[in-house]
Amino acid sequence: MSEEKVEYAKPLPDFRPETKPFWEGTKQHKLLLPKCKETGKVFFYPRAISPFPGSVNMDFDWVESSGKGKVWTYSVHYMGPTKAYKGETYVVAMIELEDGVKMMSNVVDCDPETVTIGMDVEVVFEDATEEVTFAKFKPVQ
Amino acid sequence: MSAQIPNIEDTRDLLKKNQIGIVGVGETEQGKIPGKSSFHFLSEASKLAIEDAGLKKSDVDGVITAFSLVEETFMHCTTFADYIGLNPKYFESVAIGGATAVWMTAAAAMAINSGQAEVVLCVRGDNTLSGISSTGMIALIREMCHGEFEYPFGLTTPGGYALMAQRYLHESKGKREHLASVAVTMRQHAQMKENAMNKDDLTMDDVMGARLLASPLTKFDCSIISDGGAAFIVTTSAKAKELGLKRDPIYLHGMGQGFSHQYLTSCEDLDQIYGAIQTSGDKAFKTAGMTNQDVDITFLYDCFTITTLLELEGLGIVPRGQAGAAALEGRLHKDADIPLNTNGGLLSQAHLGAMHHVIEAVLQLRGDAGERQVKDPNVALVHGNGGIVSAHSTILLGNEPLS
Repeated sequence: MSEEKVEYAKPLPDFRPETKPFWEGTKQHKLLLPKCKETGKVFFYPRAISPFPGSVNMDFDWVESSGKGKVWTYSVHYMGPTKAYKGETYVVAMIELEDGVKMMSNVVDCDPETVTIGMDVEVVFEDATEEVTFAKFKPVQ
Repeated sequence: MSAQIPNIEDTRDLLKKNQIGIVGVGETEQGKIPGKSSFHFLSEASKLAIEDAGLKKSDVDGVITAFSLVEETFMHCTTFADYIGLNPKYFESVAIGGATAVWMTAAAAMAINSGQAEVVLCVRGDNTLSGISSTGMIALIREMCHGEFEYPFGLTTPGGYALMAQRYLHESKGKREHLASVAVTMRQHAQMKENAMNKDDLTMDDVMGARLLASPLTKFDCSIISDGGAAFIVTTSAKAKELGLKRDPIYLHGMGQGFSHQYLTSCEDLDQIYGAIQTSGDKAFKTAGMTNQDVDITFLYDCFTITTLLELEGLGIVPRGQAGAAALEGRLHKDADIPLNTNGGLLSQAHLGAMHHVIEAVLQLRGDAGERQVKDPNVALVHGNGGIVSAHSTILLGNEPLS
């Protein structure tokens, strides 16, 4: 019996061309961060110009993150933005990576109501479509 | 003479010389009002403000509008000028979310100070509740966050504020009751405001017992969505005299902006938010030659309960980490020491950005706030914020000219 493919119904990212290396990275299950060649610092979210004070550098390296971090803040969502979330309880969180940047993601693989600020988490990759793999986080055991 | 870099003192001199203020206000019915377009509400509010000032429509030579969430227009201000039949010498659409209404006042003053216009109509109206489609609502949620790096994780608009609220409670060792008490006080104020949308009794138990939408927030921590319009008119005291207006203006004493981040991803910590609020407030205080001790009545952007607490602390009205306790002790009530949003705010009166906050500040300073009247206020502070506590604007209004 052939398995029927379930289409991913939740929102997908609105890509900007300049972020391609990031999404190519997640597809390979690597969390890549842009690093400003002028200041030598990593930043997030990826964009075409350095966000650091004084820098108008537009040239970056992409460095792999350890994928480890802590929950800086979180909110258990009991209602999502679209119908695709109906009946789901999930955690939206700001993760502070060891690399010194924050990124928004979901904390998965745990009871949503057990998530706390300061909790140690590590990256897990979720292949949503052929094009999109999300970097999500799970509690460190 | 050598050229000098303009500064806040110059603004103060201009505000002093020109004695700019608000001479007319208008609020339509607010709530669920099907059958009226966004432009209908803009027109009705403009009519009420023009009549309240005692002006003729032809006296208006400047138009500042905002935007519509229902009828998107590329040039909102001139679309409305055309609709109402005005040929303004100055026109501008201010579109900085919840910081808009406060900044309209400042933008009008800058237009007047530079001789671009003499009588400026500032107006906002929308049929948000009746007119927005479900796809429009989803587009709005998406607009509030980063479409590529935030929205795909299912962040909702309450969720964005919930992330800040959770962090605030963590750092201040606060509790949900602190947030809930803001909602309860706003409801008590709304019960005294004629056109408020939500007037049913609301208790702490109601808020604490409500289902969480995005922890730690319930629906009572979220502002309402409403239909309606509101407008005010800015001019100089000399022009008001020349036109034979009934009342002296309520004077603009100071203004300022402060920016923290657009996306939560770019927000390093709560200090960054407090800093932006403080920058905005400090510029307004410096223009006015005042401190927060001079403020008699405060209007803060209460799109969610959490924003009022961050703003009270960022403006230095309450020490950091203590706004929640102040709210729970009832200190934000109209009869207490920090009367806040006597109109019931966005949480209970209506949501048109801070338009109603500006108007209620004028009514209070005129002494026309009826049973909501605070005793003899001389100075009001109005603070708006756009985005998720990102873009801030502050004005100070007084019932005497800036001296």
